[in-house]
Amino acid sequence: MSMLFSVFLKLSAFSLVAFGGVNALLPELLNLAVYQEHWIDLQTFSDYFAIAQAAPGPNFMTVTLLGWHIYGVLGALIATLAIAWPSSILIYFLQRFIMGIQDPIKKKSIQYAAAALAIGLVLSSAWQIAIQINHSAAAYALTLATIGFTLFTRWHPLYLIVIGGALGVLGFI
Amino acid sequence: MSSLTPSQLFISFSKIGMSGFGGVLPWARRTLVERDKILTSEEFSAILGICQIVPGPNIVNLAVCVGSRFAGARGAAAAVLGLTLGPIAIVLLLAILYQHYSYLDTVKGLLRGISAVGVGLIASTGFKMLRDEFRFPLMLLVVVITICAVTYFHLGLGWVVLTVLPLALFLARKKALSS
Repeated sequence: MSMLFSVFLKLSAFSLVAFGGVNALLPELLNLAVYQEHWIDLQTFSDYFAIAQAAPGPNFMTVTLLGWHIYGVLGALIATLAIAWPSSILIYFLQRFIMGIQDPIKKKSIQYAAAALAIGLVLSSAWQIAIQINHSAAAYALTLATIGFTLFTRWHPLYLIVIGGALGVLGFI
Repeated sequence: MSSLTPSQLFISFSKIGMSGFGGVLPWARRTLVERDKILTSEEFSAILGICQIVPGPNIVNLAVCVGSRFAGARGAAAAVLGLTLGPIAIVLLLAILYQHYSYLDTVKGLLRGISAVGVGLIASTGFKMLRDEFRFPLMLLVVVITICAVTYFHLGLGWVVLTVLPLALFLARKKALSS
């Protein structure tokens, strides 16, 4: 039970430094869980990351799976709650504040600035994840093909996921 | 602005959560902007922008922002629960399956292929948002500097935000005045 409390505290603290989202935090999460606290071994952590990517749902499911590994279903719920509650409360009030700004130029400036920053962070995040999960030229080609199809066709992303999975099963990736 | 009830928000965000393979952002955009038409493309980028400068899981922040915008604290709670409950159940089921079948080469290959597509989907969300920036190309400078700071100089994300934000605000003000 004290271990569960420790997980809750550590992940709650992570919630407040996770600028750019949980994907940006993954190396630090790995360091904490594998090397500092020894909650989980490296191979299992990598596999959970892969499952979180493959499953429907938010990317922070890596955290949910980590919680499950430590303390079953209760651990999964506690870990998910921990990574989400501090930042949720912060954004709830910050959004009120930004919405409350009356000057339209000031308001637009903040939103445009934040949007540009977000684009940079999303693209950086994708780049860093690609480096972590793609281990072959074929995997990079598949990633690039996905970007191409998403930008220049109206294909449902699910088709791309099915094709990617099939190529993987056939041993091409 | 139209108004939405907490249960409508729960359903919209359930759809996002349950279909979001390889990260939810592309699906959030698809559902909120293209299909349910709750937000315009620029509103989505702006809200996501606010959610991205605040720490924490971006998609949960997005649910809190959109939920509270339409239905206050109850809307925020409904959106977050809709987003997370289904996926948590599924991912735990997959974890149990994984325990039994992780030794199979087929399973390993399957996960590799899906991950490669998933990362492409995240990137394409970024590229789609990038299209909005070409109306005021100077803002692209902010994007490029951010990417360099993260991927080349490996600055911590807090530092990236602090370093780039002054320039971003300066150029954003020019953009706001010019439109």
